[in-house]
Amino acid sequence: VKPALRAWLDERLGLEPLRHLAEKKDVPVHRHTFWYYWGGMTLFLFGVQVVTGILLLLYYRPSADEAYESVRFIMSRVAFGWLIRSIHSWSANLMIGAAMVHMFSVFLMKSYRGPREVTWLSGMALLGLALGFGFSGYLLPWNQLAFFATKVGTDIVGDLPLVGHFLLRLMRGGEHITGGTLTRFFGVHVAILPAVTTVVLAAHIYLVQRHGMSVPPGVERAGSSVPRMKFVPDFLMRDAVGWLAALGLLALLSALFPWELGVKADPYAPAPAGIRPEWYFGWMFQTLKLLPAHLAGLEGELVGILGIGVVAVVWTLAPFLDDPRAAGGRARVWTAFGVVALIYIVLLTVLSYAGAK
Amino acid sequence: VIGSRRALPVALAALLVGLGGTGAAWADESCVECHSMNDEERLVAPTRTYPQDIHAQRGLGCASCHGGDPADLDVTAMDPDKGFKGKLGRGQIAAMCASCHANAAFMKRFNPRPYIFSMDEFRTSVHYQRAARGDLKAATCIDCHGVHGIRPHTDPTSPVYARNVPATCAKCHNSRVLKGYGIPTNQYSLYVGSVHGRALLEKGDLSAPACNDCHGNHGAAPPGLKEVALVCGTCHGREAELFEGSAMRRGMEAMGKPGCVTCHGNHGVVHPTDAMLSAAPGGKCADCHEPGSSCAQATDRIIARFQALRDTLVLADSLLKLSEVRGMQTGPGRDALREAQDRLVGTRAGLHSFSDSLITGVLAEGLSHAGQAVSRGRETLRDWRNRRVGLALSLVVILITMGWLVATIRRRESSR
Repeated sequence: VKPALRAWLDERLGLEPLRHLAEKKDVPVHRHTFWYYWGGMTLFLFGVQVVTGILLLLYYRPSADEAYESVRFIMSRVAFGWLIRSIHSWSANLMIGAAMVHMFSVFLMKSYRGPREVTWLSGMALLGLALGFGFSGYLLPWNQLAFFATKVGTDIVGDLPLVGHFLLRLMRGGEHITGGTLTRFFGVHVAILPAVTTVVLAAHIYLVQRHGMSVPPGVERAGSSVPRMKFVPDFLMRDAVGWLAALGLLALLSALFPWELGVKADPYAPAPAGIRPEWYFGWMFQTLKLLPAHLAGLEGELVGILGIGVVAVVWTLAPFLDDPRAAGGRARVWTAFGVVALIYIVLLTVLSYAGAK
Repeated sequence: VIGSRRALPVALAALLVGLGGTGAAWADESCVECHSMNDEERLVAPTRTYPQDIHAQRGLGCASCHGGDPADLDVTAMDPDKGFKGKLGRGQIAAMCASCHANAAFMKRFNPRPYIFSMDEFRTSVHYQRAARGDLKAATCIDCHGVHGIRPHTDPTSPVYARNVPATCAKCHNSRVLKGYGIPTNQYSLYVGSVHGRALLEKGDLSAPACNDCHGNHGAAPPGLKEVALVCGTCHGREAELFEGSAMRRGMEAMGKPGCVTCHGNHGVVHPTDAMLSAAPGGKCADCHEPGSSCAQATDRIIARFQALRDTLVLADSLLKLSEVRGMQTGPGRDALREAQDRLVGTRAGLHSFSDSLITGVLAEGLSHAGQAVSRGRETLRDWRNRRVGLALSLVVILITMGWLVATIRRRESSR
């Protein structure tokens, strides 16, 4: 029956090229192979986000009057609602973490070198989209901390020269954060970002399949031929072990540390103590806090935003600016740039949690 | 209507104001010139304090009250023919103040919504009535408001500013001044320690009552037997309304006991506690009701249910707190607890109806909500335990699957 069914499906769906791809696809095995798993890990966690997000959508109500109550209802009255919401929140954070690990490993292994420049660019776009998901999703429970963190976050965007005020109004749907902002963030979170992400993610995965895994320059230079592992089933089974570990970690975190809901947002209440953005924005927030009020005749905050923007643009253009041979002084400078950026982000994130100025 | 006796000062004051009188207008008067250079301190003192006086700031001068001709630089300025009245006698002061302060048309020049003093109201005061009988100690305007340095009642340095009122009244209402009057003089010391006094004097809560809020100010008098509940009811409306319709009020009136204060006290009223509700010794009911009487038995029934509500609230709160410490969402439980707490407050107010059916009705509602809060708390804690069991089971499944995968990977590796 099985061959007959396969033939029947193949005739209608054209599965042969896929089977061929699965058989042909392999992964280089060397001392850095571990880092190859992080793209798949990010994808797995994104899948968790999609599934749990759709489930939350069944009960969530995107209005200032009902958002908080609906999340409270999900957490307290819906069967396993607490689990779905906690997994969604924890998984969002783990996904950003996995994406960061993936990005830094790609950067430091110089996997962005030709012909993978567009793969890198699509990956950076995906990271931007993930941060957008995080920022827009943070406000949706409409609690006090999220309300004021979003206010601070959009205020920072408002400080940008020329377009700042326009962007602030665009994000908030007016001058202030209101129920209109919540509806807007909801629309962005569940419609616009998923649509764009689907396209960019498809392009990213297609490019990864097209070019295969990059071998790091150090391994390449060693000369000997690099052994390879079949993607299906060998690499995929190892991937699955990691995904199961992530699932176990999500279950553990959600059961032992259910994501807090806090107090309902009250626009007229004074800002609560300890307003802090999500941890992955912490290093930017801390950078702005560390800068003096005025720098080179400009507002310190503006210098910080522009500085971070310039560094992000340079970082994104790495494939075009780094030495394509991955050798020589320029390549070493780029490696050093990656290491310094990694240390800076880790250090500033820790500082933002320590509350240091 | 202003009597002819009052016409002169009003006209003078109006003249000063009409001339565009400013705070400095009075300073040009001959009165100031002579009094400020006088050797007698009592004559100089007014010239020092009057600049801060609200009347001076509104452009009114010495002649507004004392008469005379402020333009005359000689001693003839104080010619009685020029309306000079000199120092007013205590009996004349209220009428003098009223000549302006009871005149709405005049007062509106300074304030679109002025307070209009009523001489009729003042006549109802014990102060006025004693003064009318020749008691020179009886308070008149200047005893509370001051003189030659009068400030508006909204000024925190004014003796009639809300927080200063108790001390101002106590200037006279003390054992030294009122010796021989045969009335209590411990009001101030009682008030300072009362729930009202602490709120006003310690916390600075200006909504808390001072002496005048219960006794009136210009018509100050002790409330009569029937008025006590009305006085308290101006702030404690619900309690007063329930008490008004109660059999207890009628019974107390028949016995010649005033409402409210019989149980709560007056000047020394303290924050009521649930312990007051008891027919046992120490409880307020025991002051009148014999233990074992039908009233005492009804009280015991209410107390038992009241205590049950309080105990259930404590239990519900502790269950919900424990759930919260364990990271659980307790919103619906907290909602039920809030409803129950509202009923507890409602019961405390409802006690003033002395109606068994009303009180037990509110108590039953409270117990129902409190019971729901307890159930929610227990449910949440059960859920917390179930989560751990579920976590353990899911981790076991995950670990077994991982182990199987790792074993398969190893088997495939070794077979190559």
